[in-house]
Amino acid sequence: MSSSSHAGIQSIAEYVPAKVASVGELHERGLLRGSPDTLRSFGFETVHLAGEESNIDMAIAAAEKVLEESEIDREEIGMILYAAALNSSSTLWDGNGGSPNGSVLQLESVPDLFKYPASIIQTELDLPNASVVGINQLGCASIFAALRMARALIVAEDDLKSVLCVSADKFPAGRHRDLAYNIVSDGACAALVCRGADRNRIVECTQVTKGALWDSEEIENEIIAAYFPTAKALVERTLAKAGLKMDDIALIVPHNVALRSWEILGRLIGCPADRIYTENIARVGHTIGSDNLLNLRCATESGRIEKGDYLLLFTFGYGSNWACMIVQH
Amino acid sequence: MREQSIFLTGATGAVGSELLRNLAARKGLTINVLVRRTDREPCERVKTLLGDLDVTAKLNVLEGDVCAGPSLGLDNAAVGSLQRETTHIIHAAGSTSFGLALPDARAANVWGSRNVLDFARSCASLECGAFLSTVYVSGKRRGDFAESDYGDAGHGFVNSYEQSKAEMEEMVREAMNELPLILVRLSIVVGDSATGRVSRFNAIHHAIRLFYTGLAPMIPGEPAGPVDMVSSDFVAAGVLQLLENGPSPGVFHLAAGRESCSSLEELVDETMSALARFRPEWRKRSVEKPLIVDLDTYELFVRSVEETGNPVLQGATRSIRTFAYQLAHPKVFETERAAAALAWGGISPQPSLAFYPRVIKYCLESNWGMRPC
Ligand SMILES: NC(=O)c1ccc[n+]([C@@H]2O[C@H](COP(=O)([O-])OP(=O)(O)OC[C@H]3O[C@@H](n4cnc5c(N)ncnc54)[C@H](OP(=O)(O)O)[C@@H]3O)[C@@H](O)[C@H]2O)c1
Repeated sequence: MSSSSHAGIQSIAEYVPAKVASVGELHERGLLRGSPDTLRSFGFETVHLAGEESNIDMAIAAAEKVLEESEIDREEIGMILYAAALNSSSTLWDGNGGSPNGSVLQLESVPDLFKYPASIIQTELDLPNASVVGINQLGCASIFAALRMARALIVAEDDLKSVLCVSADKFPAGRHRDLAYNIVSDGACAALVCRGADRNRIVECTQVTKGALWDSEEIENEIIAAYFPTAKALVERTLAKAGLKMDDIALIVPHNVALRSWEILGRLIGCPADRIYTENIARVGHTIGSDNLLNLRCATESGRIEKGDYLLLFTFGYGSNWACMIVQH
Repeated sequence: MREQSIFLTGATGAVGSELLRNLAARKGLTINVLVRRTDREPCERVKTLLGDLDVTAKLNVLEGDVCAGPSLGLDNAAVGSLQRETTHIIHAAGSTSFGLALPDARAANVWGSRNVLDFARSCASLECGAFLSTVYVSGKRRGDFAESDYGDAGHGFVNSYEQSKAEMEEMVREAMNELPLILVRLSIVVGDSATGRVSRFNAIHHAIRLFYTGLAPMIPGEPAGPVDMVSSDFVAAGVLQLLENGPSPGVFHLAAGRESCSSLEELVDETMSALARFRPEWRKRSVEKPLIVDLDTYELFVRSVEETGNPVLQGATRSIRTFAYQLAHPKVFETERAAAALAWGGISPQPSLAFYPRVIKYCLESNWGMRPC
């Protein structure tokens, strides 16, 4: 494959708030719906909580870091894909929970509806050539959709060299932080998808949406039950499309959901536990959309991955959306 | 020739009600059915079961309970007359619940059967007594299970039901030395082969419902493992034929056997496609086909569900779990003796998948028994 006809994730950076709370502390503060013991037995210990910083602050921090570390010429970035899971992260709502009961967004006026984070990120980061697109409504799978589109656009458009994908979510303050037996952290990640990148070539990227399972509150049990069969089918489909087998995958880079659910999924897809990077589940928890990129960076830094290794990234987002990606490091 | 007088227990059950309907439509026959009182009179219960059937046999409904000692809860006069006239016994009463504690399962299936055996001993004209059992007395054995085999061979049982039935068989087997008895082991009885009608919904039908609602993400087993199911009309015809003409003593399997069983994968596929065929709008729910997984994976899943404390998912996994562990111990039930005994009557099991879709249709149309159909 010629280096200019493929796209890869050249650089990754994350922002995780400094403030940390243990499962026990969350419980004491009334921020858990379920039992702390169950959550601990599922592998969770601490989560990160944003303080003053908004989702946009976090997005900018992660993006600034990726731009600096990659030393990319900012003029080269032709697009920003801003991916958010929570509807509240898709507008300028401050995410501090000041909204009236029952509403997600605190909007003062109609013009507020048109104040978008993606534009702010573009100007704050000084990316004059980047047009922006917001990607949401895929829950925690939003960043996968962004990476998929970044790759597709680079392949399709000759003059597009680099796309900045950013994801940030700040959970509404004062709300239960456990969702479907996972604990949610605040956080952001940013990835530079570049034409001809010399690492993390995106080999395959697949998604499944089951619109019938959109009501995450009303049919939570059906969604939980659908999770495993759909996940297994998608992983197998992605491997088949890539012409690979599970044995070819050096490491699974997961979303930080319950360790137990990864134990089960690992068995279903035939991947031994030592080839699933679960090191961040206890420490970081589930940062909504940022888990996989955060884990990919950590796994890379820890020396677990070698050049040429195939990696499989997988996530699930309400909606209900399953997403899987294979990259070659 | 002496007129046949059949004493039937369990007539209100899934199998017993088929037997009753079959017998009631015969001529020159007396049927004495032992029925418990519930919130309804025994006679009332039987009347409902028979519906508009043209009853040509002489039918007596007796209120009683197989667990109420050797008299079966009947008065002396009734016992005396039964002892004199009974030529055949079909003992179809018992507990088929998979979730009972062992002492409760034993009370219904072992001690209840002991009372029926004692009653059989006192019947001067007894020609044959059929004790209904299950092919799953084989417990966690794998491979072939013959009609000459008994029990779990030390492999253990999946649930208290299986164990209590195996213990019942031991007792009946011993009594075969003195009485003309047969043990008829049934496979999973799912419904009528022609109409799909289910007279009592059980764990299998509940599992179909969980597939339908999308609350069964996985079941334990091997995709190619055999699953044995039979229709209620085959079972009723088979039991009656064996009772009248089967060599006694003897043990018989009324099962699909090697020829007519399906694989677990075929069964799961057929369930999903029948649900979609009979309820086209169901496709919109995008229910994924349940996975067939090894036992360790299934146990891990069950343990996680238990830990969550989620009552809906717990209920779903518990109900599947009570019987599904059998699927992880696949076996083929040999049917040579039964086939030979039933051959001249032209009675043989249909392939499971030939009638199973009709049962699914019936489940859907009756909303699992909630809607008249
Ligand atoms: N259905 C199957 O798939 C299947 C498979 C293999 C073997 N079998 C065997 O076939 C036989 C009948 O099963 P089934 O499916 O028809 O069972 P079922 O539907 O659960 O019915 C059980 C019957 O036994 C009666 N009964 C329970 N305890 C009684 C007692 N103490 N005194 C009097 N009657 C009592 C019940 O009466 P109430 O109506 O008053 O409760 C009911 O008529 C059992 O031996 C079972 O092990 C059945």
